[in-house]
Amino acid sequence: MRPSGSLLLVAVSLSLVIAAPARTRPHYGGTLRVAIGEAPVSLDPAESERGGREMLPSLSRLVFDTLVTVDARGQAQPGLSPSWQADPGYRRWQFSIRRGVAFHDGTAVSSDAVAASLRTANPDWKVFAAGEAVIIECNAPTPDLPAVLALARYGIAKRTGGKVVGSGPFAIGRWDPGKKLALSARDDYWGGRAFLDSIEIELGKSFREQMIALDLGKADLVEIAPDQARHAVLEGRRVESARPSEWMGLVFSRDIQSAEDGKLREALALCIDRESMNNVLLQDGGEPAGTLLPGWMSGYAFLFPTAIDLQRARQARGQVQQAPVWTLGYDASDPLARVIAERIALNARDSGMTLQTTASAAADIRLVRVPLPSLDAWVALSELARSLGLPQPKFDGEPLQPSASASTAYAAESALLQSQRVVPLLHLRTAVALGANVMGWREDPDGSWRLQDVWLETGKP
Amino acid sequence: MRYAVYNLSIHPPINLRTNLRINLHVNLRIPGMLSSFSSRFFSSLLFALLFLVEASAQNWAGAEGLLVGKIASATGPKTMALEVLNRSSLNAALSDDIRRNLLTQLAATGVRFLTAEQAAVSVRVTLSEDLHSYVWVAEIRQDAHPPAVVMVSLPRSGVLAVEPAAAAMVLHEISLWSQPEPILDVAVIEGNPALMLVLDAHSVTLYRMQESRWLVEQALPLTHSRPWPRDLRGRLVWRTDGDNSHLFDAWLPGVYCRGSGSAALAMTCFESNDSWPIGADGFSQSAPFMSSRNFFSGTLSPGTGTQTTAPAFYSAAAIPREHSTWWVLAAVDGKVHLLDGVTDQVMEKLKWGSDVASLRSGCGSGWQVLATGAGAGRNDKVQAFESIGREPVAASIPLEVGGAVTALWTGSGGTSVVAVVHSWETGEYEAFRLTLTCGR
Repeated sequence: MRPSGSLLLVAVSLSLVIAAPARTRPHYGGTLRVAIGEAPVSLDPAESERGGREMLPSLSRLVFDTLVTVDARGQAQPGLSPSWQADPGYRRWQFSIRRGVAFHDGTAVSSDAVAASLRTANPDWKVFAAGEAVIIECNAPTPDLPAVLALARYGIAKRTGGKVVGSGPFAIGRWDPGKKLALSARDDYWGGRAFLDSIEIELGKSFREQMIALDLGKADLVEIAPDQARHAVLEGRRVESARPSEWMGLVFSRDIQSAEDGKLREALALCIDRESMNNVLLQDGGEPAGTLLPGWMSGYAFLFPTAIDLQRARQARGQVQQAPVWTLGYDASDPLARVIAERIALNARDSGMTLQTTASAAADIRLVRVPLPSLDAWVALSELARSLGLPQPKFDGEPLQPSASASTAYAAESALLQSQRVVPLLHLRTAVALGANVMGWREDPDGSWRLQDVWLETGKP
Repeated sequence: MRYAVYNLSIHPPINLRTNLRINLHVNLRIPGMLSSFSSRFFSSLLFALLFLVEASAQNWAGAEGLLVGKIASATGPKTMALEVLNRSSLNAALSDDIRRNLLTQLAATGVRFLTAEQAAVSVRVTLSEDLHSYVWVAEIRQDAHPPAVVMVSLPRSGVLAVEPAAAAMVLHEISLWSQPEPILDVAVIEGNPALMLVLDAHSVTLYRMQESRWLVEQALPLTHSRPWPRDLRGRLVWRTDGDNSHLFDAWLPGVYCRGSGSAALAMTCFESNDSWPIGADGFSQSAPFMSSRNFFSGTLSPGTGTQTTAPAFYSAAAIPREHSTWWVLAAVDGKVHLLDGVTDQVMEKLKWGSDVASLRSGCGSGWQVLATGAGAGRNDKVQAFESIGREPVAASIPLEVGGAVTALWTGSGGTSVVAVVHSWETGEYEAFRLTLTCGR
């Protein structure tokens, strides 16, 4: 029997009273207080990659615009450059420069200023101004240059007297290297004034210090370690997790030296129990990885097995008479890295190999964490390869095109993995805990924050 | 009472920028309960859907043919065991269709299908996806060789999931347009051909309906000297006042644009802090919009009854009464205010979002208020409310949308509301026409 219309109306009316909080338009105003673990000592975007992990690009984009941005689907969108074009060989590019944009010191973002900034960021390019546009000439075909220019290190900066000035939605108010950064919103930002009036960022705080600051109401936004995200949810905290994106894996310090060396590397890759690493050590804070790019980004990661295969590992190990003792180095300041390194040593022992963990930087193998550098698959693959000391992936067999197809990326990534220089372990989720008044939180799939879209419920309109 | 529920979600063909996407949620009483108008209306929509099903199938076939070609060139006409796995967001029915089509097309190349033990070749096709494409991967195993891998990619876009509705009044959504850039407002003029204006941050674009697709007729760039606010809003109104040279008006923060012309459109924009129209035709108010923010000041013109001021608000909806018009405001203070011409009453129980709009459905009291609110997960919802006494009460089951509602404006004539949704799944901005049909 169907309920009558009146009953339905009553039910609907009741649902009205107990409905979830209403969705409101953003409010302007207020100061967002952030605490993070990274402690960069420079804000210059050209130096960002030397500062540490993924926080810096998110911060850098608040102050420094890039010519191009990459949207949440990995596609290039206009930034400081509203349009661009390339020659048929993708070596010579022309980027027009948006009119009427100024640096935070009031000077115009001219094509000359943009060219100077890009020359600093990449001395290998030939960059020069041409009227209201900038010409970039690359040494090799670079069909993905727009997505490359969206990387934070290509943020457009004016460098004078040891200071850097950007044109982004926030200007630097106070900069205490490695300790504190205070930003204030620019009313005249070409992309629309940010909702927040200001952002105060405490740097170099441990996860514990960050959580205490959140609990004491001294921070509105803190990071959570991948292995702590589930616990934080169970404690009733407001947690936002991104897709598994930060690559964690082993990097050999040298290329393969012999066939036996290759067999041992194969054995090591096969004996690691990624599933239990993720479930037990990480509390499902990531997912097992057999590739550099995560599956949600590439679409083909399932082709690379991640399951432990101890039998094959022992077979491979058995083909080498005398196995050397390898040292496995990890970042001593990263508690997660230590437990993962120890688990790998245990797994290796099960296959008849010996790994000695060490906090020393000089090791045969390093346990490495690298944030996903871009949402463009090809740029991400190239940047990961660069970070890990691998050769640059190459387009193979397909005509040049602005965006690599899945099959092109698959071929390139297969070649990188076949070099046996790296052993993928996990893709980790980045997570944050938010105060109750933080609204409009947006995080790209790669874990980048978009603080320019955040607003505070307590802010005054 | 028996109902037939047609809940059809059509996955789009490859050309996603065109309006080949309809999420139709029809709740029809049967048998023989449709008015002649409703019958024509739904028949047209179902016909359009059938066209889209066909169009969609043809485009899947292109990708299927490409993959079959790659498999066939790797294997030749051998005996084959085919397995199809779905790891993507495609639903089971589509996945089954694709599997059947792959079998058919492979058979046409001379392949015979046997069990895995008997076949010379084993092929596993995995329907996967990346950030913006479907990725179909075939792993081909023959003899003792490592598997060969071939793959094809085709653009993907999501489909809004709509929950079944069964309330006294039923909200329907019809997709009008989607694009990556934020849509501020859309106005459609029915006719032959139908015309549509789309307002975004850069332009007003005129589209003409041709063979069930909206084709760009003309793009009129907006001119403005100051940066737009981050939460940009805009209003677009077709002029129906008989002045043929004045065709439409567009309001944006600090800017007013006037569209005119006959054979070709022209648009002139002015820096202006003139008031924007709020409400619906016949029950219009205007209020100044704060040019660097995202809300209206509380000054109303001409006002309602003795009231010409109100709290600052995001949106307003008229509730026509027998001898007066009440106004519901979604105020910046997060509360819903009811102006009855004399008093400003805060409706404490109403937990609405920031966007409200009037809709003349002819059902119930004739006019309803559509209001946004938080739906399941990160999705917003839109729900119709009826004013019984002073307190608006829900008149429909909420319509869950697959994203955040960024605009809700009463359409020309008041018989529909334009809603713009920022889709979580596709990342695109999608404009819908919302209408209400009466229940019992």
